[in-house]
Amino acid sequence: MKRIVSLTVNGVAHEVAVEPRRTLIDLLREDLGLTGTKKGCSIGDCGACTVLMDGVATFSCLTLAIQADGCEIETVEGLAENGQLNRLQQAFVDHGAIQCGFCTPGMLMVTTELLRNNPRPEEEDIRRAISGNLCRCTGYQKIVEAIQHAAKEQI
Amino acid sequence: MILPRFDVLVPQTVPEACAMLAKHADEGVRILAGGTDLLVDLRRPIVAQHVPRCDGCPTHPEGKVVSTIECLPSDSDPLMAPGGSLRAALEDPRHASPAYLVSLHKLKELKGIERLADGKLRVGALTTITEIERSPEVRQNWTALADGAADLGSPLVRNRGTLGGNIANARPAADTAVPTIALDGELTLHGTSGTRTVAAKDFPRGPGLSVIKPDEILTSVHFPSPLPHSDSAYYKLANRKALEISTVGVAVWLALEESNGPVKDVRVALGAVGPTPILAESVREVLEGKVPDEKMIKQAAKAAVGDARPIDDHRGAAWYRVQMVELLTARLLTTVLERIRGK
Ligand SMILES: Cc1cc2nc3c(=O)[nH]c(=O)nc-3n(C[C@H](O)[C@H](O)[C@H](O)COP(=O)(O)OP(=O)(O)OC[C@H]3O[C@@H](n4cnc5c(N)ncnc54)[C@H](O)[C@@H]3O)c2cc1C
Ligand code: FES
Ligand code: FES
Repeated sequence: MKRIVSLTVNGVAHEVAVEPRRTLIDLLREDLGLTGTKKGCSIGDCGACTVLMDGVATFSCLTLAIQADGCEIETVEGLAENGQLNRLQQAFVDHGAIQCGFCTPGMLMVTTELLRNNPRPEEEDIRRAISGNLCRCTGYQKIVEAIQHAAKEQI
Repeated sequence: MILPRFDVLVPQTVPEACAMLAKHADEGVRILAGGTDLLVDLRRPIVAQHVPRCDGCPTHPEGKVVSTIECLPSDSDPLMAPGGSLRAALEDPRHASPAYLVSLHKLKELKGIERLADGKLRVGALTTITEIERSPEVRQNWTALADGAADLGSPLVRNRGTLGGNIANARPAADTAVPTIALDGELTLHGTSGTRTVAAKDFPRGPGLSVIKPDEILTSVHFPSPLPHSDSAYYKLANRKALEISTVGVAVWLALEESNGPVKDVRVALGAVGPTPILAESVREVLEGKVPDEKMIKQAAKAAVGDARPIDDHRGAAWYRVQMVELLTARLLTTVLERIRGK
């Protein structure tokens, strides 16, 4: 039997009827059509599916939609400000931190959490923060540089 | 990748949760906390070739739950005898594909870290690994636990995973369960017929198996008030810094009578070198009452090896694990001793 889940996604309130086994990522991608969040492994290994749930970076593949009832979700679609890429997104573009782009939404979301909690991260903090997010393309260096740049700019 | 069909029950109180577990026991029911173990395990029957993540993870080519025989308590253990409750749980298909999950996420009273009036630390079972990692109180007084939390999985795993889940899952390599044993944690279990406490060292019975009863929920872990002249540490030996299960994990807690005095008490817990985390009791026999020096520490580390029962697997050979138990035990005892003497 389906259940009603009430949640806010990027500031917009939604009520969605879901099967109990529905994961948060499937609710976002299939029920709400927010396909910015990517599904890589479905078992917590890659971080591509990361969203913020009440401000906490959360893999949406290992979270049931029912567990997100009453929560505020932020996805990559919510980052742009007035139709413009935000500072962090722009830094990823400018620094070549995006190649195929599959890891990018997850990288942006964990980094958004990092910079909110720690606006002046050391390189070590950045590498640790993205250590649950796999990137097959960039070798991470460009991503770290982009984050360092965005952190410098925000101060 | 889709999950098998199940219904999710969302209790508002602990007794309600226990009642749900009791009511649906016949149809198969599992407790859901962060889901970082459970929701992966439930997918396993669907992706049968999924590689097990922990030593002795019970898997089978068809996704059936089977025993990794050499890791389990022997048949002479009444719980493991034919018809015994552990064997029954392990072989029960309802365990692998339950009809119900009881999700604890609304039980706020199971969350949080609290210093009690008597000096003990109470950590709610639903407290996330990240909250433990970031707690200044835990870092200061129960350092081995903070070390284990900081090394578990990745930031995303730590944000979802809970202390209760890590302990209840009963894996030999569990990065917060091993320090919890060294720090003499006491687990509180709530069931339909009341509450009981179990020492963390007595909780696991084999890979994925514990003394928990089907209607019981682990609600909190209590850590004893820190003694003067004591300290602790945990070291996770693994191939990578993140997203890796330990090859060997060692947690050491040491208390001296006085700064340069003899050993009052010592507890060394070993991870990933047996079917459960192991409390290396022989270390205490070597060190208790003596003023430790380098030679004695070496002797204690050798004693710890005697308590380990490692197997060969894809994370490391038994002979290698044995060497690492000796090396890490000696190194951690030395570190902790220096910290106490420097205080
Ligand atoms: C990518 C990845 C990497 C990981 N790396 C590590 C690692 O490095 N080290 C490590 O130790 N673990 C690791 N894990 C395993 C897991 O994250 C931890 O064991 C975590 O602490 C489990 O907590 P949870 O709340 O998610 O448990 P859940 O998955 O919700 O539950 C785990 C088990 O415990 C039971 N349970 C949960 N809570 C309770 C309770 N309060 N009372 C009774 N039973 C309960 C459940 O029924 C289930 O059987 C990893 C997992 C993933 C997906
Ligand atoms: S898809 Fe969620 S961690 Fe890989
Ligand atoms: S840019 Fe391709 S995976 Fe990171």
